[in-house]
Amino acid sequence: MDSNIQLMLYVIPTLLGFFLVLPIGRVLSSSLEEKFPSFSTERGRVLSGLILTCVAGFAVSIQTLWISSKVSEGGNFCASSTVFSCDDVIGNAAYNTDPFFGIPWGGIGAAVFCVLLYLAYSTSLEPNSTWVDNYLKLGTALTFGGFLVIGLLVSYEIQMEKICQYCTTAHVANLAAFIGFYRLMKLNESGEWNQDS
Amino acid sequence: MKNIYDDEADVRTKALIRVMSLFFVGLIIIAATTSPIATGTKAGERAPPLEGKFYNGSGGWTTFNLESYWDSNWKEGDASGQWVALEFMDTDCPYCVKSAADMSANSADFDGSNPQWDGAIVNFIASVTELDINGHDSSRAEIVAFRDKTADSGQSCAGSDCGNRDGSAHAFPYIDDLDQDNMKEWKVGGTPSYYLIQPDGIIAWSSSENQGEDLRDAIISMVTRESAETDGA
Repeated sequence: MDSNIQLMLYVIPTLLGFFLVLPIGRVLSSSLEEKFPSFSTERGRVLSGLILTCVAGFAVSIQTLWISSKVSEGGNFCASSTVFSCDDVIGNAAYNTDPFFGIPWGGIGAAVFCVLLYLAYSTSLEPNSTWVDNYLKLGTALTFGGFLVIGLLVSYEIQMEKICQYCTTAHVANLAAFIGFYRLMKLNESGEWNQDS
Repeated sequence: MKNIYDDEADVRTKALIRVMSLFFVGLIIIAATTSPIATGTKAGERAPPLEGKFYNGSGGWTTFNLESYWDSNWKEGDASGQWVALEFMDTDCPYCVKSAADMSANSADFDGSNPQWDGAIVNFIASVTELDINGHDSSRAEIVAFRDKTADSGQSCAGSDCGNRDGSAHAFPYIDDLDQDNMKEWKVGGTPSYYLIQPDGIIAWSSSENQGEDLRDAIISMVTRESAETDGA
């Protein structure tokens, strides 16, 4: 399968999740409320979008980890002479691991999205528990910290004059997750957490 | 009444187990479908990048790309793949000046121009640094004078005219690593240091791991020979 078509497997759920966490998500999800009752409340919509985004972010991070392993074997996955060449970015040994422990960025992304997924999933299972407030604050802080890492990775791409489309999908997933956690945190603080719609 | 258990623990444990399962399934898929090779400078590791401008005798200094030497489809025993012999050196290091003669002889014997050699072509590359030692003041002009063995160039290599160094003029590329970037990236402890790299970019031999063995012996023992292919057939 072409690598750009395969990328759509991650881009589509990421964008769907992104729309669901935005206020505009209500318009998009209103026709699906009968099939998915959780879409009828703001909390349900944002939590659903957040979980979808975290799963997509985890999956695309695992894919980038797989690509870096394949490239290290000497293989190709998405090499291109154009500016969009994830092999050139993920396969660049000077930039493809974190500067402190040498862990591939894809592995860090997968682990972080799993933590975010745990926070969002636990919240969705027991939304009125005492720890939910802390989980939402932690999720907001983690995704906000992710922007610093994204800034560093984008600076690497600028230096290489190449763009990794798989990495960009993970970055968009982090942005969507930040919006989701932030909106849930505000909703929880506002006292409208348990409103019907 | 005081509870000695957490009523909400079950939900969080269930979520944790499910998310961790997902994480480990992802890792298992990667482990089952790939065989990653670490990037490093030991035998069996993938050679790190080698960056900078290089001089090849004509056309001035242009961007060097080590990746262009690699053939990812190369298989062990294939004599058509081209190997790389890499030397880290300093034009003011007396041992490097002395070993220039060995590099001249090795490149003449194994670079494909010698009909007596029935093995794969070995491409020679020199990465020239400037060690942090008093008297080791190098420049691109000095690198050119060393490589081309230019007489009376006014450039001094280890205290003598660069044109008087041992061996003949070299025909292989010299990379400017005066800022030591490549040397640090490759964790080179001293000069001269040598690496023999397979056509697929995997390091086959390094002088730091094989003290007492020289580059020539490594080439003869490790580089694929056509006679070996015939014997094996």
